[in-house]
Amino acid sequence: MTLARPLATRLFPTATALVAALVLAGCTPGTTTSDASGSPVTGGTLVYASGDAEPGCLDPHVGGNYPQALVASQYLETLYTKDAGGKLIPWLAEGSSVSEDGLTRTVKIRSGISFTDGTALDAAAVKANFEHLLVPKTASSTGYLALGKIDSMDAVDASTLELKLKSPDNSLLESFSMPWVAIESPKALKRSQAENCAAPVGTGPFKVESWKKQDSVQLVRNTGYVLPDPSAGHAGTAYLDGITWRFIPEAATRYAALQAGEVQIIDNAQPDTIAAAEKTSTIKHLDAPRPGASNRIELNSSKAPFNDVKVREAFIHAVNINASVDSLFFGTAARSYSPLSSVEPLAYSEDSLFGYDPAKAGELLDAAGWNKRDSAGYRTKDGARLSLTFPVSTSQSIPAEQSLFEQMQATAKDSGIEIKINLLDLSSWYGDLAKNNYNLVSAPYTKVGPSVLAILFHSDSTIPAPSGYFANLSQVKDPSLDALLNTAGATKDEAERKDLYTQAQKKVLEGYYLLPLYNQQNHFLYSSTLKNVGATTAVATPTFFDTWLDH
Amino acid sequence: MNTSKASLTRSPGVPGSAARWLLGKAGGGIFVLWAVATAIFFGIRMIPGDPAQAIMGGPGSQASAEALAAARAQYGLDQPLYVQYFGQLWRLATGDLGTSYSLKIPVSQVLAELLPPTLILAGLGLLVAWVMALVLAVISTRSGPVGSAVASGLEIVSSAVPHFWLASVLIMVFSTALGWLPPVSTSTPAGLVLPVVTLALPLAGFLGQVMRDTMATAQRSAFALSARARGESEIGVLLRHSLRHAALPGIALSGWAFGSLLSGAVVVESIFARPGLGRSLLSAVTARDIPLVTGVALVSAGAYVVIMALSDLGERLADPRIGPS
Repeated sequence: MTLARPLATRLFPTATALVAALVLAGCTPGTTTSDASGSPVTGGTLVYASGDAEPGCLDPHVGGNYPQALVASQYLETLYTKDAGGKLIPWLAEGSSVSEDGLTRTVKIRSGISFTDGTALDAAAVKANFEHLLVPKTASSTGYLALGKIDSMDAVDASTLELKLKSPDNSLLESFSMPWVAIESPKALKRSQAENCAAPVGTGPFKVESWKKQDSVQLVRNTGYVLPDPSAGHAGTAYLDGITWRFIPEAATRYAALQAGEVQIIDNAQPDTIAAAEKTSTIKHLDAPRPGASNRIELNSSKAPFNDVKVREAFIHAVNINASVDSLFFGTAARSYSPLSSVEPLAYSEDSLFGYDPAKAGELLDAAGWNKRDSAGYRTKDGARLSLTFPVSTSQSIPAEQSLFEQMQATAKDSGIEIKINLLDLSSWYGDLAKNNYNLVSAPYTKVGPSVLAILFHSDSTIPAPSGYFANLSQVKDPSLDALLNTAGATKDEAERKDLYTQAQKKVLEGYYLLPLYNQQNHFLYSSTLKNVGATTAVATPTFFDTWLDH
Repeated sequence: MNTSKASLTRSPGVPGSAARWLLGKAGGGIFVLWAVATAIFFGIRMIPGDPAQAIMGGPGSQASAEALAAARAQYGLDQPLYVQYFGQLWRLATGDLGTSYSLKIPVSQVLAELLPPTLILAGLGLLVAWVMALVLAVISTRSGPVGSAVASGLEIVSSAVPHFWLASVLIMVFSTALGWLPPVSTSTPAGLVLPVVTLALPLAGFLGQVMRDTMATAQRSAFALSARARGESEIGVLLRHSLRHAALPGIALSGWAFGSLLSGAVVVESIFARPGLGRSLLSAVTARDIPLVTGVALVSAGAYVVIMALSDLGERLADPRIGPS
């Protein structure tokens, strides 16, 4: 198995492999192996098969989801990125500073870099990108949220961008590392949205040549590539002539295409397939957990029965998650006990809270008044059954996860808890959440940095957007937690930030608002003819600048 | 029904009835298209989900109030439902299929790109199904009760097999195990083999059952006996006389069969990762992309109407007993 290596790992293969192993060993099973054998070969086209829905727009400013980030990471680059230790480093930016009151952020932009349409990268170009993200016409949602604190901006000179903030935001640079805030040619952004969606123009090692809908996006080498960051394994341009980015929605077909050599790398690899592939010598595995939140089940505390903390605690002890993770994920996923992904340096875990203990669950439920049983064996209180509604999005929960929920349903029944699983398509699932028609829910959230905690657990996030969507799905409304999150997001003191975010995580874990499962799974399988795979962006999307095809 | 021998094409002397036939078909076709457009328009609004959210990128992204409002205004979603409905009908009537929410390009452009691959897939599927069905019918008629029973069993099994299962088995055998054919669509004809066979096999089973029965009946009929008496060989009777009879129900069913191929294309195109209407319909429904769903449904309905008319015409040509009605 190969572990994901953020960008800077490419500089010192040996040293950083060691660091990566040390950093990541705690969160992912297996060991780091180097597949960078032999000398690099220039040429050849990599065929990448994506299992995600084909993006409607190749510009990740528009909307802003993970499939867009995956493909855009090949032709767009960001102001900041992450190194092997998870440390934020400048990329298209040269550096940044913030005023004493935290309200003015100055970003220095690198010189000597051009977009693939010949336009030069400068402060005005970055400003044009931020304006593009903030104007409603662009219909950005992820990037728009990330830049939400920006009040006004000014390109002071060619290399200096000054941002005035509405309130201090210490997550801004982390936000700058996400592909949804990547920097595009300002000249290209002036085209119509349809044109820009079809072929966004960036500074990356590849550029978009053509897009055949429902079939593939054709990327070709950027022959004028100047690597802005000195941390790559080689200088100059990419080894590959190009990348054919295919869309193969069926997991089994995708794997068959990899086995047949039609494609060299697939994403959304499923646990059973990974287990099968690890027995072969011709297919390799890249495990790149996404940053932000862990995959977790949120317990809706806004209504009965989970408005009672005893019932929340009882539920958590009534389900046997570890057994299911072991049997259904074939060792590809490690159990999490944190609201944050294990790739987040500030993630705090508390495994002692989440043990499987039906006896304790029974005591807690008795104490909470759920002490009678109906004819089906479920607990009741005042004649009502202890029943939990669990809408599950079939597009967000992979089959193994759906099976895990079913096993959870079975173990909860032993404690007299009924779980009603509703398998729904994404829009219907959003509909149920908007109507508060759920007791349990699992929703992924990818973001760089611990500020995702404020999105998920601040009481502000219980206020629905006009569409009915809100991110605080456990519906925690705790003024002391809000205060912690507010200060944690604004402080300039790194130690204080860590301390406050740790306290916030303790609060939501000890309040039994969530049941952490594992990192947001992000697995890739690739042919052994593909060498030097593993570099990823800050959001764990693979990049292929250093990758070559061994013919 | 007119039982005279004057069929549509053979007697240009009855332009009135030909025009009536064409007019009837066209009227029926327009009614079908209107019904489809209306059913889609209201049907897609009954399922939960906000189209404005779909426009904003759907899964994993959260739109701001301003962005949602802008999207609603841009696509007219803030208008009362009846205004949207009649506006939609008027645009459709004038040939404007609108802009896809999820792909941000005109629906007509999407359809122009995706209709040909689906027509090729469905057309080849129909052709292969026909050939398989006829071959099976001839073999089983020629090979006595045992052969007939075997063929009949094969037909029943293949007509009952679901596309997704068949596709998985074919990929496992011919791609993963034997390595003969690619598991996904490619630019070469080899990439078409598995998708076409997956579509054709269940249909061949169904058509084969119908054709074999008719062929067996024809083989036992008086005209077959008299042909044999004239000294016609057994093969000659089969090919020159019985085959035409066997073909009739096949032609009659081809319109229906083409419709079933279009729906089968949804599954087959997704599994084999082939671009096409079926796959775009699936993603458009998931994304609540109303203009694209409407466009795909209308084009499929239109194709169905045309094929039904063609199969009606084909039936008239193969069977002189049916005249213009």
